Amino acid sequence: MEHPLMLKPTSAATVDTKTGGLKRFFRLLWKQRALVLMSVPFVLWLFLFRYVPLWGWIISFQDYQLGKGLWDQEWVGFKQFEALFNEPRFWRALRNTIVMSFINLVLGFTTAITLALLLNELRQIVFKRVVQTISYLPHFISWVVAAGIIQVTLAPDGIVNELLLRLGLIKDELLFLGIGEWFWGIYGVSIVWKDVGWNAIIYLAAIAMIDPSLYEAAEMDGANRFRKMWHVTLPGIRPVIVVLLILNIGYLLESGFEPQFLLGNGMNMRYSENIDIFVLKYGIQLFNFSLAVAAGMFRTVVSVILLVIANSIARRLNETRLY
Amino acid sequence: MVRRWLVAMTAVVMVFALVLAACSGKKESSSQPSASPSASTGGQSSSSDQSGSRDKVTFRMFVAVQGEKDVNTNETVIGKILEEQTGVNFRIEHLVGDLQTKIGTMVAGKDYPDVLVPDDGIETVIKAGGFIDLTPYIDNDKYPNIKKVYGPYKNLMTWDDGKIYIFPFSVVVNDYIGDPNINQGAFWIQRRVLEWANFPKIKTVDQYFQLIEDFINAHPNEDLIGFITLTDGWRFFATTNVPNHLAGYPNDGEVMVDMNTFEARIYAGTEWDKRWWQKLNELNAKGLFYKASFTDNYDQYIANLTSHKVLGFFDYGWQVGNATAVLNDAARADPSQDGYRYFPLPVVFDENIKDQYLDPIGYVANRGFGITVNAKDPERIIEFIDHLLKEETQILLNWGIEGETYIRDSNGRLTRTQEMIDKMDQKFLEEYGFTVFDWDWPHWGSNSTLSDGNAVIPGMQPEVFQLSLTDADKKFLSAYGVKSYAELFADPDPRPWFPAWGIPRDEERQLFEALKGDVQREYLPKLVLSKPEEFESIWNQYVSALNRLDIAGYEKWYTEKVQAVMAKAQGQ
Repeated sequence: MEHPLMLKPTSAATVDTKTGGLKRFFRLLWKQRALVLMSVPFVLWLFLFRYVPLWGWIISFQDYQLGKGLWDQEWVGFKQFEALFNEPRFWRALRNTIVMSFINLVLGFTTAITLALLLNELRQIVFKRVVQTISYLPHFISWVVAAGIIQVTLAPDGIVNELLLRLGLIKDELLFLGIGEWFWGIYGVSIVWKDVGWNAIIYLAAIAMIDPSLYEAAEMDGANRFRKMWHVTLPGIRPVIVVLLILNIGYLLESGFEPQFLLGNGMNMRYSENIDIFVLKYGIQLFNFSLAVAAGMFRTVVSVILLVIANSIARRLNETRLY
Repeated sequence: MVRRWLVAMTAVVMVFALVLAACSGKKESSSQPSASPSASTGGQSSSSDQSGSRDKVTFRMFVAVQGEKDVNTNETVIGKILEEQTGVNFRIEHLVGDLQTKIGTMVAGKDYPDVLVPDDGIETVIKAGGFIDLTPYIDNDKYPNIKKVYGPYKNLMTWDDGKIYIFPFSVVVNDYIGDPNINQGAFWIQRRVLEWANFPKIKTVDQYFQLIEDFINAHPNEDLIGFITLTDGWRFFATTNVPNHLAGYPNDGEVMVDMNTFEARIYAGTEWDKRWWQKLNELNAKGLFYKASFTDNYDQYIANLTSHKVLGFFDYGWQVGNATAVLNDAARADPSQDGYRYFPLPVVFDENIKDQYLDPIGYVANRGFGITVNAKDPERIIEFIDHLLKEETQILLNWGIEGETYIRDSNGRLTRTQEMIDKMDQKFLEEYGFTVFDWDWPHWGSNSTLSDGNAVIPGMQPEVFQLSLTDADKKFLSAYGVKSYAELFADPDPRPWFPAWGIPRDEERQLFEALKGDVQREYLPKLVLSKPEEFESIWNQYVSALNRLDIAGYEKWYTEKVQAVMAKAQGQ
């Protein structure tokens, strides 16, 4: 996950003299030995827990039976993948995963950035702290509890129905979680409610790093608040936004598990069942681990491709902006 | 500066090394017991700290059931006595999280405790070779009590490969005695509704819903709910099983078994099924059905049952125990609350159908207690089980200690005083050990009797049941001319295969059930909540979705299994 801005100087430094490259590399290595040593445990951790388990992928090419050794299993080639790709449910789960991730991505970014910008403009420190605390508190509620709150709120005798009835907007109570088409909307709102404050923190930190003299200069030029936001604050946090965006695109096929599992039911299944739930239902709960691994493998491969594409696009955009 | 970096570095590296060491250390200690069984089958001098075989020993037990407390058996009164008698203590752990995931990891890592009660995961463990073969211990004169309790069931306990892997829980010893309470399925109705209507006789589902409708019409301002149903997760069968019961069949799971041909047929998608969903559809059109039944979870369902608003529901007694206990306690403290309790009714479709809500003498083959291949000392565990199955021990486990938790009257009947019953709240039952030794151990099945005719389980003893009745209970029972709730229901016909859900299913059958469940999850809410004129077209979609599954294969497989059990039972 090299951030393009960080990559630039080192690559420029090593490329210019090809003959002395190796020598320079070791000199640099020696100079930064402390940093390198410190990173060793984490590289080891990464290798041990993220790369070593990958060999388990081989069971997706087997008809894995519990209790037998890995090498005593029957090899079935791409049978599991065929089963997966011929299953209409899987494609539906994939669609739901992508749509919900996309909702998460778009809403997550816009609301968090907006909240950070607004909070940054507040002069009243006490009010700012209160708003910030209230907005990030839901992040610490477990999804089990949060889903309970959402279910009660949206119940036929819940506050939302009560309100709409009193206002005369609806004649009968609505069963919000029973209307499949609305699940994505409910999901989006829940995600924003739960995570907007938490996600805004990193942008607030980035805003705090912006050089105050830029604001002063903008003010001298007669910029009002919105101009300053647009021309100083937003460009100032742009690198952070881009890096987070790339990271999140890597997670596009992981739309989470808990909200869909806890808020999902038979009536909204067509819209709430994502890959995680598909894997749980038809892989793990039926002890069909091979199918589960095949689905996980498919997801990882697509994620890596998406990540590489997003990264290269971002790099290109950054370069045009830099030069 | 450099030195400080180095110090920090070394610290980091050392922490990392420690973590690694801790990880590998754990591996070693857990692999040790698994290496020992081959060396220690005799049970002596296997582990260095134990020399004589009568020394105290602790075994690990895992019970794949959620929501119970982890405990050492010797921390309870009964467990302490057992430890004094046998020197054996069990450390019991219960399931947290998903059953299949936990059993799957256990099996894949061969990381078994000494004894395992895998609930629904039993086929997986057996297929993976996780249990030892119990055949040599069942019919063995060295273990007279095991022979007495399990000997007669040897044929039924034998797996397809000719071996015996588990001690099942539902074996009846001596005479059969029925449960006076309704712990199984029933249509429940709020007691004040019956009292308001002057205790009418309710036989058909139409009468049942008519009564509820009349009551709501007479009480328009109470915001009442006519009927509610449970759909959360695996408990969904409380909703899908209903047409089967209304048609006069017991809970055989997904199938109804014909009493003449012994053919198993699924009832989803049949006329019975249609009749029930159409009924609920009408009920919903009248505004009597609780729509959120299809979105609520189990906790919300239980909360609704205790809200005093719900008039009727179908469920199994054991599944609503949390709700009924709360209502009972409230009614005991304040008798005016009694009307909010629920009364069980054996409701069927038509007058001429005989209800079969009460369980026949059943035998559940796929739930049980097994000893794993990792067990340190299987012989010692078997000895302990033999001790558990002694008649005196069964009395200790179920009735407790004479004078403390039960008395013996002049006729030799076991009973309890009111005082004893009153002190037995949940906390007492846990500390005494009654809850610890209730179900997950090899035991005399709930419907067994002692050699002197007393019931093994106090709840089954008529004397104890009568003591547990309040004045209001007696009023209701006498209004219907019965002495116990069970008398309201028809006697069960003999069905040797019962329950059919207790027959272990193979992979294809499990997949079928998962797919069938998903079809029902999708269509049943639509059937109930749609406008009455749309019902027919949704019904057709539902049936065609069901027909895309391999129903014929499922029924054929089940029919073969049922007929095999019939043959086995008759062959004895």
